[in-house]
Amino acid sequence: MAGVWIVSDNRGHALELLNIGRQLAAKMGTCVSALLYKERKEIEDYINYGADEVMLLPSLSGEQSLESYVPVISEEARKGDPDLILFAATPRGKNMAALIAEELNAGLVSSCMAIDFNYGNKTLVMDRLAYGGAAVQKVTCSARPAMATIPPRTYETTMREMGRQGHVRELPPPSPSPIKVIERKVKEREAKDLSEARVVVCVGRGMEKKEDLTVARELAEVLGGAIGCTRPIAEEFHWLSEELCIGLSGVQVKPDLYLGVGVSGQVQHLTGIRSTKVIAAVNKDENAPIFKAADFGIIGDIYDVMPKLISELKK
Amino acid sequence: MRVRQRRSGWSSLVLCSAEHLEYEACLKIFIRKDRKRCKFMPSAIACFKWVVDEAYIRRGPSGDLDFSSVDFKIGEYDRNAIEEAVRLKETLGWKAVTVTAGLPEAAKGVKDALSRGADEAYFIADSSFGNLDSSQTALILAEVIRARIREYDLIICGEGSSDFYAQQVGPRLAVKLGIPCISFIEKFLIENSQLIAERRVEEGVEVITAPLPALVTVLPDINVPRIPGVRDTLMAGKKPTVKISKDELPPIGEPPLRTISFKASKMERSCERFGTDTAEIARFVGSLRKKGVIG
Repeated sequence: MAGVWIVSDNRGHALELLNIGRQLAAKMGTCVSALLYKERKEIEDYINYGADEVMLLPSLSGEQSLESYVPVISEEARKGDPDLILFAATPRGKNMAALIAEELNAGLVSSCMAIDFNYGNKTLVMDRLAYGGAAVQKVTCSARPAMATIPPRTYETTMREMGRQGHVRELPPPSPSPIKVIERKVKEREAKDLSEARVVVCVGRGMEKKEDLTVARELAEVLGGAIGCTRPIAEEFHWLSEELCIGLSGVQVKPDLYLGVGVSGQVQHLTGIRSTKVIAAVNKDENAPIFKAADFGIIGDIYDVMPKLISELKK
Repeated sequence: MRVRQRRSGWSSLVLCSAEHLEYEACLKIFIRKDRKRCKFMPSAIACFKWVVDEAYIRRGPSGDLDFSSVDFKIGEYDRNAIEEAVRLKETLGWKAVTVTAGLPEAAKGVKDALSRGADEAYFIADSSFGNLDSSQTALILAEVIRARIREYDLIICGEGSSDFYAQQVGPRLAVKLGIPCISFIEKFLIENSQLIAERRVEEGVEVITAPLPALVTVLPDINVPRIPGVRDTLMAGKKPTVKISKDELPPIGEPPLRTISFKASKMERSCERFGTDTAEIARFVGSLRKKGVIG
């Protein structure tokens, strides 16, 4: 018996992984082990949320990076021979997963959006996006262990079951690494708000100058939402922080409403909004690809439409 | 190699050091020669992939992918990697090397990379390299870097290929070469043979140091890649390209992942359209309210 392992340094992501991990483990007839970084007080929590075993990793010193755990986790996986290891697809999660996959000579499915167990041939089948989001790639993994990274918020958190039983095991401390963290800067609140916002107003290239952002911000405010942007707005014009870029290589948002103003809708950008409940857009180009991906589209000049929307919403 | 040359240098030094003054003169000449002969110019290797331009992929009638009118390009994110290598060349006098593994058609990409300012290219081509797994690509690149390029200080990869975007080749390559890997960096500098990099993490930014040689994967906002001009394209033809065939490499093995299918991704949306007069705007807002997405 080898099991499904889940790895995340963030409690919220770990609970999501425990949900899918537990579902898969039930189908595969195995158990779930969760790797827990430093926080002893969360052991019981992880067990109540579905872990049959918690592998506790010792704390790191201030200058050690999270990747210092890579040799420890790899070694433990060599000994424990898990069937599947799931990571949260955060920047460090993705990096660690790839490093461990290479250490173990294993296959890794990156940014997996669906994962299931095929009873027939006893393999895992996983879906992911390719070609900037234009295609869904279905893959199986033949090597052992199968590995996957799963973007945060792909799965919900499971129900807690108080009083579940589980084992706790301590793993050895990591050895010193040549990589040192000399400073940590916490990001501004705005970017955090974007990924959690229920309404997102996204500014695209159709906006002519930086000052016009005020109108977009007002629109976002009336809608009770956060502001985001497409890549050129941050990268070429530097009007907004890169942290507010929505898309494949940026923030993936999952709001109730996305409203694109002057957004053309390149496939990489659309990938970042595909899980949105309702997509709306304003663009003067009726052939803009965003209209094919939108539920509601206004064909018109954003400078004419934005003030009208604001006054209508204020009614 | 370096060590052996230095030793023979010292022995010739002993022979010519009968008198102190001569010794000093000799030492100076030796150091100069030594620098020329033994101390290689620092170099950065930018890895890239020649990929299908996804903008030209059409959706076929049964949801399959239609590649009939596609064009190819250097992956968007890999252009940032090449630009950083060239930036090191321009600011610190490093040598900028590019390396790619792919189909023989990727020769166009090699020329494109050279026209973007790289000094030389390594090109591993084979008709079977169309769909390499990240682990196989990393194996090929590691082999060529270790056995053919040999001397390097920094390897730069994009944050992911713009076709499959698995984001694995960089870290896997670093493990194969046994060098530190710092992923998703938005800024870096080289100071006293050490890398200082700012990498993006979930909570913000971490400033990391690592000894060289090291590998970094760069975020797209690290730079704006240049667009090569006519002169750059002409110059590219004169730059050296080392072609390597599959037979010169150890076997790359079976991929650990198998693709069962590719289907055009569906964005099933109602695509309702609205005008801009007051009544239409009211209808639009009404539709949002009906969906319950706004108060």
